[in-house]
Amino acid sequence: MTVERTVTIVPEAGLHARPASAFVQAVNDHEAEVSAGRPDGDLVQAASMIAVTSLGVGQGDDIKLVADGPDAEAVLDELERILTTPEEELDTDDG
Amino acid sequence: MAERTLQGTGATPRSGVGSVVWYGHEISLPDPDDVEFDPETEVGRFTDAVDTARTELESEREATAERVGEDEAAVFDAHIQFLEDPTIEDAVETMVGDGLPAPNAVDAAFGEHIEQFEGMDGRMAERADDLRDVRDRLLRLLTDGERVDLGDLPEGSVVLAERLTPSDTAQLDPERVAGFATVTGGRTSHAAIFARSLALPAVVGVGDALESVEGGAEVVIDGDSGEVLVSPDDTERATAASDSGAAIVDESVETTDGRHVEVAANVGRPAELEPAAERGADGVGLYRTEFLFLDRETPPSENEQYEAVREALETFPDGRVVVRTLDIGGDKRIPYLDLPEEENPFLGERGIRRSLAPDSDLFATQLRALLRAGADGAGDLAIMFPLVATVEELDAALDALDAAAADLEARETEAADPEVGVMIETPSAAFMADELAARVDFLSIGTNDLTQYVMAADRENERVSDLHDPTHPGVLRAIHRTATAAHAEDAWVGMCGEMAGNPDLTELLVGLGLDELSMSAVTIPEVKTAVSETEYSSASERADSARLAATRSEVHTTLDT
Repeated sequence: MTVERTVTIVPEAGLHARPASAFVQAVNDHEAEVSAGRPDGDLVQAASMIAVTSLGVGQGDDIKLVADGPDAEAVLDELERILTTPEEELDTDDG
Repeated sequence: MAERTLQGTGATPRSGVGSVVWYGHEISLPDPDDVEFDPETEVGRFTDAVDTARTELESEREATAERVGEDEAAVFDAHIQFLEDPTIEDAVETMVGDGLPAPNAVDAAFGEHIEQFEGMDGRMAERADDLRDVRDRLLRLLTDGERVDLGDLPEGSVVLAERLTPSDTAQLDPERVAGFATVTGGRTSHAAIFARSLALPAVVGVGDALESVEGGAEVVIDGDSGEVLVSPDDTERATAASDSGAAIVDESVETTDGRHVEVAANVGRPAELEPAAERGADGVGLYRTEFLFLDRETPPSENEQYEAVREALETFPDGRVVVRTLDIGGDKRIPYLDLPEEENPFLGERGIRRSLAPDSDLFATQLRALLRAGADGAGDLAIMFPLVATVEELDAALDALDAAAADLEARETEAADPEVGVMIETPSAAFMADELAARVDFLSIGTNDLTQYVMAADRENERVSDLHDPTHPGVLRAIHRTATAAHAEDAWVGMCGEMAGNPDLTELLVGLGLDELSMSAVTIPEVKTAVSETEYSSASERADSARLAATRSEVHTTLDT
């Protein structure tokens, strides 16, 4: 099952530093192939810290997420939570 | 004078002195044409190196979280993810299959992305540092590279390096290392940020000149001026060694039971703004404006004053800047104002008394400049009036402020609606604190003058210096009375005298109810630490005992136990 979602980024750091770490961690913790990118751009492998960081998406930017696999819905829920939680409230102890 | 002075960028406003240890990163890659290797073995070596690197990073992460903090440890999470990045893994496996030894493949795989990040701006470029760090770690494991153990340096070492990665700085023990300096790097590099959170003296970006400093040489690292002094003289050595080394706390602080206390800086000229911010000031609790008026032939224009205040507001975009209106008279003389000689200037026409004098338009000009700066500046402006003794004076100052706002409105210029406060320096103001607080947003206690006037003891006269001590119960009761009166009127109360900067008295002041402490920037780290170690409820009880004591020695006994 392939699911798709577009999320507006809330953390001040954008998809960078801690939010990026939490993001990649969440992708790796789920059984799903996830790709991410700007809505009008190419998608990259969401399990790659390098690829995710290179997207250069900042606070207020939209990011498109596409997931395929048994955990597809669950992983997108988790990624949306990470991308819409201000950095200081982000709980990174779950990794 | 030091033998040589090298200029870099100060990373931490701290100084240290010690002897040089060079820390290098030289890793030599095998020549692929020279070595026999089996691709399968090489992939195995790569996988093993990744596993070992992960274990190292996890333990460094744990050690950093414990020693420095969770925020600083988070960088290791990113490193682990770069280490395990599928893009890198795929690239290395492909290149090994194409005939490269593992170390060369790792170097090439990371190299491509390092270049990519270096070409991007700001914080993205700093990711290149992370990638280099992970690459070097893998290469060291793959090439059996040795390195100086940064966690086990002789006491008093100063580390010099081309560059220090986050993992390097995380190993540095501030108890043993006197500081570091690097050839490359800027103020926002990881190394600089780590150094700052450990309060480790550090200068970055010195350039190639640093390489001429030999191992074993004695150097001073001055993180304030950004200088590295080679072979310092006795005075330079002693100055550097006297730095206290308390950790810099950038965040705002509260007591263990959750009472927020603002810790701000006293600033006497614009050059002090940035160092104050670097030492962790939440804002400015006393911005003296006299510097604008001194050493010149004519008074400063409205625009000149606007610019100076605006600069302070831009330095603290998320903070508050309390500007004190001109406080001349007394010991501060300004020739072009042609003020009359006074028999007893400290009891004469100074502070708000001078500003309200009918023969002067200085006050109106200053208030207009302040209101304009407050409207345009990023931080929050607050205005306070010095040496108020009566409610009439305060009312007149508030009228002048309203008039300045009306003038600006007539000019169709935007004016701020700042917080307004009164300095409590005279015994009358302390007695009248309830009436004054009812008319303003805050009171700020100037303990130097308050002590001088409450005790009738000249601050400059050594023969009465025992009396000029704010821990006399008479002064403590004036402070307590002021704080209680302010809180009853929903005003906040601060302190901007020297007393506020004494970390030994922080618990007492928090206990007396002060909401803000403002001091010269040097002691901000110590006071912030002291606030966060104070329990308000017990401090409050102890402060009650102290102020109810009959003598200064009883006060000190209460504070010491």
